Amino acid sequence: MGMLDNKVAIVTGGANGLGKAYCLRMAQEGANVVVADIADKEAQAVVSEIKAAGGTALAIKADVTSEEATKNMAEEAVKAFGRIDVLVNNAGFYHGMSRKPFDEISLAEWDKMMDVSAKGTWLCCRAVFPQMKKQNKGKIINVSSEACFAATKGLIHYTAAKAAVIGITRVLAGELGQYNICVNVVAPGVIDTPGTRSYINMDKMDASSVPMKRFGRPEDIVGAVVFLASDDSDFISGQTLLIDGARRVN
Amino acid sequence: MGRLDGKVAIVTGGAKGLGKAFCFGLAKEGAKVVMAAHRLDTDEAKQAAKDIEAKGGMTVEVDVTNEESTKLMAEKAVKKFGRIDSLVNNAAFYYGAGRKAFHEISSEDWDKALDVGAKGAWLCARAVFPYMKEQNKGKIINLSSDTAFAPTKGMINYITSKAAVVGITRVLAGELGKYNICVNAVAPGYTDTPASWTIGNVAKFDTSTTPLGRVGKPEDMVGAVVFFASDESDFISGQTLIIDGGRRVH
Repeated sequence: MGMLDNKVAIVTGGANGLGKAYCLRMAQEGANVVVADIADKEAQAVVSEIKAAGGTALAIKADVTSEEATKNMAEEAVKAFGRIDVLVNNAGFYHGMSRKPFDEISLAEWDKMMDVSAKGTWLCCRAVFPQMKKQNKGKIINVSSEACFAATKGLIHYTAAKAAVIGITRVLAGELGQYNICVNVVAPGVIDTPGTRSYINMDKMDASSVPMKRFGRPEDIVGAVVFLASDDSDFISGQTLLIDGARRVN
Repeated sequence: MGRLDGKVAIVTGGAKGLGKAFCFGLAKEGAKVVMAAHRLDTDEAKQAAKDIEAKGGMTVEVDVTNEESTKLMAEKAVKKFGRIDSLVNNAAFYYGAGRKAFHEISSEDWDKALDVGAKGAWLCARAVFPYMKEQNKGKIINLSSDTAFAPTKGMINYITSKAAVVGITRVLAGELGKYNICVNAVAPGYTDTPASWTIGNVAKFDTSTTPLGRVGKPEDMVGAVVFFASDESDFISGQTLIIDGGRRVH
């Protein structure tokens, strides 16, 4: 018996890194998983992995910055599985982003960041909202970052977008509570994924300031996502949960 | 298969209200529960004791404001079950605390709230620490309150103790991370328990500003405590999770 038996969960950016970890674990917990990503080949590979393990999944090509694409994603999910219980807004512009001072980041990269991480989150919520409203239940899990919880250097666009996600979460918690839709955020610390390795050398990172003396692994984050997707969190909404070995506190 | 199979969990203030709900919620997931309470001689406590023993648990009488008593509590738990995996610092001065203005609260009631709520949490953490350190793993879950996260009226003693719990949580997360001990806080909103009825009329509580539109039930709090006690949250420490239907955000 899984924690998410018969639930339908959409994970954006589900083809790689953390998103892939969410998909695999939610499938293990019994969910029918929609792997939504612009990288449709890799999304298909995640679906194959889930199916090989006896789970149920579907890949949908989705550009979260396009309203039409997000609507189509929700429609396809409902067509395939009949409902949408969970949306994990994991898609973000992360792999290959510039870690430059604020006055050196290009306007184009700023816009791309805000489009994918902030606007994309908003659009995906809009897309699943009618179905969740109809069900009078839903769970939206947004992904922020510990980067917004301390003075940092570089990545102003990423950090601003991830702080925006907290704002989106709070407003949606307020607006959607009446439909029994819970909206929460997880904020991972530095996690060892290919995306993280695209802009820093993980092997040279100093974990001495992390109370738990290490950086995170994708497996460290999945438990919180499953919890916030499950019925165990039905009275929790609007909250931000940091997952970073206590490096920052909230 | 439970999520806490083979784990040993101590819950202070465990014989009534939220504490009792935590005891049975943890037991349901397979934990051996130590129901620790100041008074085990009431009819309700006697029944709760019988029920938790039937589920393989035990009871311990404890005064959390007394160092010797908390040490004895930890010793008895280890003598019976061999280890301590989780401590839920739930004991508080809440039942009958009243809702007086700050200048009307007696010095004795201030001391009592801080002694039980703050010092008690500290002493219980000290008592279980040697065992958790030896195990190189442990989970401490402290009970704060959503009242510490917004302007409120009355109960300055209680609310101060609940804010102190957040401070205790953060320092312990910093100090105990190297022993792989995670320390987190849950902060319930107004919850329908007998104790809450001594503070006000729960049925008449204004939920118009609560997005999920209702007062909490003890069951609403259990999932988060199980999550923080389980291996699913092994990289989460120092955090505070509000559970109040979105009324306050953090």
